[in-house]
Amino acid sequence: MLKTATKPTVPRRSIFALNESNPLVPYLYLLPHAILFFVFFVFPIAYGVWISVHRWDPLNTITPFVGLQFYTNLFDIDKIQAQFFWKSVVNTSIFVVLSVPALVVVALVLAVQLQKPILFRGFFRTVFFSPGILSVSVVAILWRWVFDNGNGLINVVRRDVFNLPIINYMTDENIIWLPIVIATVWWTVGFNMNLYLAAMSGISQSYYEAAELDGANGFQKFWHITLPLLQPTTLFVAVTTVLASFNLYGQSVLMTNGGPSRMTQSVIHYITEEGFSNNQFSSATAMSFVFGLIMLVFTAIQFRMMAKDVTRSREK
Amino acid sequence: MTVQAPKAAPRFKMPKETLRFVLLCIQALIFIAPLYWMLITAFKTDGDAIAQPVQWFPKNPTLENFDIILNTPDANILRWAWNSVFTSVAYTAAHLLVACLTAYPFARMQFKGKEQWFWFILASMMVPGIVILIPSYIMMIQFNWIDSYHVMIWPGVANVFGVFMMRQFFSSIPLELEEAARLDGANSLIIFFRIILPLSVPALVTLGVFSFLGAWNNYLWPQFMVHGDMLTLPVGIGNFTMRYGIEYGKLMAGATLTAIPVLIVYVFAQKYIEQGMTLTGLKE
Repeated sequence: MLKTATKPTVPRRSIFALNESNPLVPYLYLLPHAILFFVFFVFPIAYGVWISVHRWDPLNTITPFVGLQFYTNLFDIDKIQAQFFWKSVVNTSIFVVLSVPALVVVALVLAVQLQKPILFRGFFRTVFFSPGILSVSVVAILWRWVFDNGNGLINVVRRDVFNLPIINYMTDENIIWLPIVIATVWWTVGFNMNLYLAAMSGISQSYYEAAELDGANGFQKFWHITLPLLQPTTLFVAVTTVLASFNLYGQSVLMTNGGPSRMTQSVIHYITEEGFSNNQFSSATAMSFVFGLIMLVFTAIQFRMMAKDVTRSREK
Repeated sequence: MTVQAPKAAPRFKMPKETLRFVLLCIQALIFIAPLYWMLITAFKTDGDAIAQPVQWFPKNPTLENFDIILNTPDANILRWAWNSVFTSVAYTAAHLLVACLTAYPFARMQFKGKEQWFWFILASMMVPGIVILIPSYIMMIQFNWIDSYHVMIWPGVANVFGVFMMRQFFSSIPLELEEAARLDGANSLIIFFRIILPLSVPALVTLGVFSFLGAWNNYLWPQFMVHGDMLTLPVGIGNFTMRYGIEYGKLMAGATLTAIPVLIVYVFAQKYIEQGMTLTGLKE
């Protein structure tokens, strides 16, 4: 009887209580993610460091320590790994240089056309965005057929409609990047277009009205108002697209299999080949760390921009 | 624009709007053409696919290609499709739950080490995925997870993007709602499941669609982690390229079967995908 009378009315301080009086509650919420994060992210990185300084072989139980040998190999130009690795870095950079400007400019051109209301605007938006949801294998198989040397869509149009000679897109070393870049633009440009459209919807109409009073034409309005105001978006689009393009893998594997003569082999393709096909797991891990470091520079830029975005939305 | 004095009525007027519309139609055609090309090839016999002159509409439409790839003993398409559906749904559910549980204290509670832990996990987004691919593969061998559903579900749940996005959304929910519930004696879990989550449905759907599409279209990871009957649809179809080389009828039938479901899902989820792009803070 006495016990019930003195029963506390405020929440009891207990490690089993699920309220703010228990200081452990926030950590309990974080626990599931923290476990997964350590097991599947932090540990693999640490394990990767260990693997890259040992000779890890799936067929061998002993893993001798080799120090930085797999890293120095990459800077010894006599080694085949160094040649192939840096060739793949150059290849990937070529792809970045070719694809990023196209992905920014085409996205902007599409967005400008859909900026103002027009018949079937939603339909056009869907058409330009929808390839982005397809998997890379569908995109690659499809575009390999479009660019097929003999009977692909483009050569069929050249032959049957314009009576032009066919072009060996898939084997001509001078234009081998063309099919891959065009497939990539078709696949992902809608995403950038949507980012531009979202940014454009935030531009105040009053700028355009003022410019119209001054007699500005459509191009002048675009050049002097839209483009400068979109600058932060353009930077963001460019940086994220550079990152995405450095991750080139599926398109070149499935369209050209890295050929002809390794001309389109991307870094990730070479790393996986070295690891999974050549069973050189330690060497491949060292490569992925070196490449990761190169990419980190670009990711750091993006990260800073995101951090800026966080502080900005906090201030609101 | 100055209004011109009406001259002799122009026989044909081409307002800017019409020109813009026609230009858009041409571009839309260019975007759709490859998909049309895929579709008609899927319904052509191998001979018709390479016939000259080209058949813009299949003369002898056939379901043969679909029949062959659906019944090839070494290409278990329906099994791959099921693997893709199951692992994508399971991953999405697990990811949503874990991301929300993690985002909640970051948005609503004060505790020691909050800032540090948040920036630590956020920094993981800076690390390119390729860095952990090979160590993870060796780990998965040691876990005995190769060729299992686990390998397609759990490692991805550690992803931090969802945490970041849900934290942004939770922060926007008014604190008063939570305090009212607390006065009524609700504990933290009740508040989380009965107040915070129901109010977050738009963000949850957006993150869900992104997670699902990401898992569904994942290519690099499953290519090395699963094989044979455990493959997912995109990798299985991708392997077709190697096997069926230039039999484009069959390749296009496979690609069509893979593409059509996501295109249908997209038409329904379109609103959320476009919403999500602004919601995720990607805007501006």
